[in-house]
Amino acid sequence: MSEIKNWRNFRLYVITAADCHPGRELIQVMEQTLIGGADMLQLRNKTGSKREVLEQAKALRELTSKYGVPFIVNDHPDIALEAEADGVHLGQEDMPIAEARQRLGSGKIIGISTQCVEQALAAQAAGADYIGAGPVFPTRTKPDRAAVTTEYIRQAAEAVSIPVVAIGGITPDNAETVLAAGAKRLCAVSAIVGSEDPAAVCLALRKTIAAAGGWQKRLITLNGLAHPTSASRLDELIHLLGQGEKRLVAELDGTVVPRSQWARTLLSEGAKLELVHFVGGG
Amino acid sequence: MLNATPRSHMDASATRGHSEDKPISERYSRQIAFAPIGERGQKRLASATVLIVGCGALGASLAQHMVRAGVGRVIIADRDYVEPSNLQRQVLFDESDARAALPKAAAAAEKLRRINSEIHIEAHVMHVGIDNVWRLTEDADLVLDGTDNTGTRLLLSDVCFQLGIPFVYGGVVGSRGMSALLLPDTTACLRCLIGNEDAAGETEGCDTAGVLSPVVEFVASLQAVEALKWLSGNGAEVRKSWLSADLWSFGVTEAALPNPSPGCLHCAPGRLRRRCDERKEQSASMTRYYTPPIVLCGRNSVQVTLEAPLSTDQAEAALKANPAAKLTRNRYLLKAEWENGESLVYFPDGRVLVQGTTDADRALALCKRLYHQPSRT
Repeated sequence: MSEIKNWRNFRLYVITAADCHPGRELIQVMEQTLIGGADMLQLRNKTGSKREVLEQAKALRELTSKYGVPFIVNDHPDIALEAEADGVHLGQEDMPIAEARQRLGSGKIIGISTQCVEQALAAQAAGADYIGAGPVFPTRTKPDRAAVTTEYIRQAAEAVSIPVVAIGGITPDNAETVLAAGAKRLCAVSAIVGSEDPAAVCLALRKTIAAAGGWQKRLITLNGLAHPTSASRLDELIHLLGQGEKRLVAELDGTVVPRSQWARTLLSEGAKLELVHFVGGG
Repeated sequence: MLNATPRSHMDASATRGHSEDKPISERYSRQIAFAPIGERGQKRLASATVLIVGCGALGASLAQHMVRAGVGRVIIADRDYVEPSNLQRQVLFDESDARAALPKAAAAAEKLRRINSEIHIEAHVMHVGIDNVWRLTEDADLVLDGTDNTGTRLLLSDVCFQLGIPFVYGGVVGSRGMSALLLPDTTACLRCLIGNEDAAGETEGCDTAGVLSPVVEFVASLQAVEALKWLSGNGAEVRKSWLSADLWSFGVTEAALPNPSPGCLHCAPGRLRRRCDERKEQSASMTRYYTPPIVLCGRNSVQVTLEAPLSTDQAEAALKANPAAKLTRNRYLLKAEWENGESLVYFPDGRVLVQGTTDADRALALCKRLYHQPSRT
């Protein structure tokens, strides 16, 4: 569970791939993605020395802070800590989530790549803050992986309440298909940083996400205050609020919603919600 | 289990059966004058049995309400003993109870008998768990929640829904309180409403967040009035809502209780009728919720249950051999305190409350001192 406010509202996640833009500086390319509207950024450098990765991490941390965008480091909790990144992203073959959590503490974001529902559920149970789901399409970033297809995006979106970000071969041309399958957050790598105009690609992707409704927020009343939210279900909202680990009583439009029903309870425009901590003393 | 009710009181309770022949005593005149109760309701109260689990702040206040109102049989179960920090809000206890480290159930029973000698009061100094909850609950017409932890509440909710009796939840912390009457075949059970044991972390307790005495009385009153409705034959009048209040900032909200959840093991519609025969099976499957030693959150205590109980004399002899221990003994328990702040309280039913640690291993190590063989010369 992360302390970074509202990071779960991200919609367009961009990952570095320096080999996609030979001759252009990493920082300049990544700044273009932020200008275009990327709202989550990951440093992925599988070939550089630790020292090089750390230097890049520090530079990207400075850049993302300027734009108020969360910054994630692939694989290296120690580098994430030293560069004051917001979290790490793990692969299925990397260290277990529990170990990463132990190193990073509860305040950092931990994401993990998943290829099937079992992995998605396991990640959520192990305390992951978000999952990557993919590759949706064959991609040259991960040439050895078979595509999971949009079917898995649909399944993952239903199976877990933590944010799901669709990744792998996503471009402005196929983004609509992925969103139609239930994705709310997209991640693109080569389509963005390999382009001549990363900002324009990001803008195009954001427009597609917005058209699919991913940017629309419902206005609900939460504990008496107006609260715009991108969550469509009660369990999503509670996770977005960072309250997933708390024992809460949820009262929606005047009736208590059993905890077992949270994942099946839709939040409609104008809903009145009271979330109160269960009181346990005697 | 140690039944703290002296034999004479048990015998006195035999007169309860005659209460219908005697004129209702003057004692209840103001309650009888309240039309929805009347003489008829008062008689029903006299023949009712209520179980109060936990006799701390809520439990003591609840017990007082039930005994003063004339509920014929009041069963109290509590695992703890009176400490000075209880006196700010636990209305049945006083300084001498704390000095004597009397078990709460026993100290409460003594006070309650002085308040109303007509009531059959049964006090159990015990940890309520899966091994004893059925026996404790089977005679009750209603269960009042005076507990301080989610695990016991969920267990009581499960059992009440299996037996088809109302469970009146109440909780307090800081200046906040909540209460609801959960009714089998009518409302969802507590497990559906707040999730299983592992659905979330333990909530803030009174030990960490404090608690105000008026909040205790407010919530106990909410619980007691629903109990009186139910037990006096006014079951149709019970409040069917979950009430949350903060008395400091002052706000009260009420939300309707949802229907039983289809598919719930405990409250699904129609499950109740099929249940009586299955009870034993169910209780066996529920043992997974009971895992000693139990770390009592926020209380810096661990509860250990010995495999075979020792006599209090055996325990005392063993602890005496440990010269650093300061011993206090009363008829219910034996307390040993060490200079480093650790202490243990031994109950003759084999239960040990180890204080000054939240480490189960350390607690078990201290319990080994109960088995120390005094060297003989």
